[in-house]
Amino acid sequence: MNTIAVASPRSSRQRLVIGSGVVAALLIAAQVIGSASFPSNWYAHLADPINDWQGWLRTNRTTHWSFTVFINPLTDLVDFLLTFVEDFFTWLPWFIPPIVVFLVIARRKRWVMATCAALAVIYPGVVGVWEQSIETIALMTVSVAISVILGIPLGVWTALNKRAESILRPILDAMQTVPATVYLIPIVLLFGIGKVPAAIATVIYALPPMVRLTALGIQQVPRSAVEASQMFGATRRQTLARVEMPLAVPSIVTGINQTVMMALGIVVIATLVGAGGLGQEINQTVRALSPGKGLVVSLAVVAVAFVLDRVSLALVTTPGAKVASLTRRQLLLIVIALLIATIIGRLFGWVEFPFSWGKFFANPIDDFVLWFRDTFSFITRPFNDFIVRDVLIRTRSLFNTTLAWQLIVIAAAAFSYVAAGWKMAIATTIGLVVIGLSGMWYDASETLAQTVVAVVLSIVIAVPVGVWLGRRPKVETAISPILDSLQTIPPLIYAIPFVMIFTVGPVPGVVAAVVYAIPPGIRLTALGIRQVNPESIEAATTFGASQRQVLWGVRIPLAMPSIILAVNQMVMMVLAMAIIAGMVGGGGLGYRSIEALTGANGAGLGIEVGLAVVIMATILDRLTQSAARRMQAPAAQ
Amino acid sequence: MSIVSGDTQRVIEVRNLWKVFGSGSHDNAISRAQAGESRADILSSSGQTVAVRDVSFHVGSGETFVVMGLSGSGKSTLIRCLSRLIEPTRGEVRLNGTDLLAMDNEALRTVRRGQMSMVFQHFGLFPHRKVIDNIAYGLEVQGIDKETRRARASEVLRIVGLDGWANHFPQQLSGGMQQRVGLARALAVDPQILLFDEPFSALDPLIRKEMQDELIRLQKSMQRTIIFITHDFAEALRLGDRIAIMKDGAFDQVGTPEEIVSSPATPYVREFVNDVPRAKVLSVRSVAINAPAPSGARTVRAASKIEAVIPMLLERDEPIAVVDDDGKPLGIVDRTSIANILSAEQR
Repeated sequence: MNTIAVASPRSSRQRLVIGSGVVAALLIAAQVIGSASFPSNWYAHLADPINDWQGWLRTNRTTHWSFTVFINPLTDLVDFLLTFVEDFFTWLPWFIPPIVVFLVIARRKRWVMATCAALAVIYPGVVGVWEQSIETIALMTVSVAISVILGIPLGVWTALNKRAESILRPILDAMQTVPATVYLIPIVLLFGIGKVPAAIATVIYALPPMVRLTALGIQQVPRSAVEASQMFGATRRQTLARVEMPLAVPSIVTGINQTVMMALGIVVIATLVGAGGLGQEINQTVRALSPGKGLVVSLAVVAVAFVLDRVSLALVTTPGAKVASLTRRQLLLIVIALLIATIIGRLFGWVEFPFSWGKFFANPIDDFVLWFRDTFSFITRPFNDFIVRDVLIRTRSLFNTTLAWQLIVIAAAAFSYVAAGWKMAIATTIGLVVIGLSGMWYDASETLAQTVVAVVLSIVIAVPVGVWLGRRPKVETAISPILDSLQTIPPLIYAIPFVMIFTVGPVPGVVAAVVYAIPPGIRLTALGIRQVNPESIEAATTFGASQRQVLWGVRIPLAMPSIILAVNQMVMMVLAMAIIAGMVGGGGLGYRSIEALTGANGAGLGIEVGLAVVIMATILDRLTQSAARRMQAPAAQ
Repeated sequence: MSIVSGDTQRVIEVRNLWKVFGSGSHDNAISRAQAGESRADILSSSGQTVAVRDVSFHVGSGETFVVMGLSGSGKSTLIRCLSRLIEPTRGEVRLNGTDLLAMDNEALRTVRRGQMSMVFQHFGLFPHRKVIDNIAYGLEVQGIDKETRRARASEVLRIVGLDGWANHFPQQLSGGMQQRVGLARALAVDPQILLFDEPFSALDPLIRKEMQDELIRLQKSMQRTIIFITHDFAEALRLGDRIAIMKDGAFDQVGTPEEIVSSPATPYVREFVNDVPRAKVLSVRSVAINAPAPSGARTVRAASKIEAVIPMLLERDEPIAVVDDDGKPLGIVDRTSIANILSAEQR
């Protein structure tokens, strides 16, 4: 035993030396023999079959059975629901929704919240986007309702059935990583342009959290509660309905909440396929470069989200919650009063929102941004030039002309091996080659360069702030609502002021991505620092460690898994933003995805872009996650 | 508790019960275990765990049968096999003579609804239901109407001493009270058999003692058939009419508390016995010397614990006559015989 114990570190060190030697040799060989950019004649023509399919769809859309039997009725149904909800809200006098929202939330005896929510309902009207927000509310209500109706049974199914879980999990993962612009393409091909494809895209995007959180809720029900139910001779259905579902309610509520947030996130992108509503309005402000109007309208999106979220929370009963008890009579009276109010409103024509102060809010913001641009141009211009000329363009030429593609693949594989083992190394190799084969090497390297720059900036800002904040819980509670609301603003909105400040190009996208990604980064880092076991800190302090020693020797190492997860989150968010930044001239895969969506024969291109994005996202995600897991391992043993 | 012979009426009878966890066929693991291979060896080569290993026993009506073992001994798996919360791999479980393992789901539900209930280690209460609705759950799944089941639940609630807590939620109660709710919930369906899976191990020592007393008190009046799992040897001695010591999935020894303490069958059982104050467990009968008592000697009943005669012998060093319930002499005890048995503890 002893000899082995002594020998093993030496042999592992030998292996390390040999391994790095081999890698170095391979790298040099690759650089010498290899070619710079990925050979274009290796292009695999992945797009062709897709484009053929697109052509086939064009000719057969009215005749083929899959349309007449399945897709057309589905379209009609969704269209009917959307039109119904939209017409209903348009028909309703404007003062009814805020009253109803107030009453629903006030039932929980949360008066302040109820008042805020009622004001949030009025906000879109005040800023003059009442009709657009009705369109958006209709779209979100219908898609969230469909997501919930589909998601809860699917979640229960995955929780209770291992095979279902193994089938659904990868599908759910894919649904969340594929950028929305990419899966809009097949949806447009099948359902055409308009509100129905937007609703279906929203459902696809918003469904995963519903399924996941329902499943999680069911799985988290204490085993003993289920056993107890079985022991009393409850049938499977009784146990599900009386024990598991009620106990999963908090998790399901979180799922609905998440679904609303996800649906909200896609509102802007959905306008690309004709969703209309607030997203359309935001898109126009981007084109018109009016950050003031953009912000005002985005806040309307946030208000809609806030209201839907609160109302859905108030409608679900959690055990032990305070509820004002109403007799059936009182309830009836309220309903009758509302009906009378509606009739009066209709009779007197108080239907449309009576005034609009949009410009009142928007103009000062526009002026401020213009002032900011002019005043600080001595900083922003050089920053812009530095990032574009010295960082992004250099990185791009490094990836495409200086370094051989073989060297990049080998280096990435070696890095993956070190961080996550040989399986990840093989996956990385295959992934990178597939990106090359799909003809996306150049665009992917551009997106990667932007992502790396944005991630580095995010880490430099978020991690120190998070570490600082983690030790000041009071400050954190004070600013966490701000961080939360920053996350609900549609990503594209972030880009508008920066486009004005930095001019069109990759930089506004990068800066917007940083702003978009740092709140969760700060939150997760602070969480990690805060959750460090106080005993460890006391122990270190008892041994006479200074504040600084406690921070660097105990807090940060113990919080490392959390910090890595924060980095992981930021990487994913930056990547998502890099795609959206294509809409403001960011270039790279994002630009290509928009080109695919709006171009004539874009389906094939769209699939290639989507493939490249998913591969990049998956590799970056798995790498950071397994790095976090490795750091956690010694603590767990 | 009264000592009832397990032979009178066998409510539960278990024969050669096996439970193997792990994927694939379990035949191989069982035959290897039968050949005497250890659990660890089987696990390392096949990935299968032999949790319950050829266990046979029977429990008579009104008897309290305690299975005592440390964590990982398979005791929790065993009790779940008795209600088929876990399906046994091989063997036989008979309930009042009926084969439990042959039952279809419907029949099994009927048994669970009427004949047996269980009290869980971490209480297994439903946090979303009030105390009263927790207790009424067993009746609810049987389709009994609300009024009847609430009435019954209030009745049981009074029996366990939780009057007035009906409309609280479980998490508003202390641990001991929560387990009273668990007990009440089990009693509400009026079961013939009560299964206890380490019900008191999550409680503080004082509360645990209190709950044990409560159970002894209830059992005196109810006379249910109880199977009680514990890792606490002292608890096993207090509650059990008979005790099985379980190790590595098999029973090391089965016997009355006195049999186990006076003659532990294996070194493993001896480990537990060594820490037991024998004077509290052993009866005078087990130390009586077969000799005629001098006339005029003080008498003691054979069933009394040794601790009862120590003050008598300290008071006056004269032999004491041991008599049975009818006053018939069985032998004597004196200072030497008591000192001998108590010093055996120190080995």
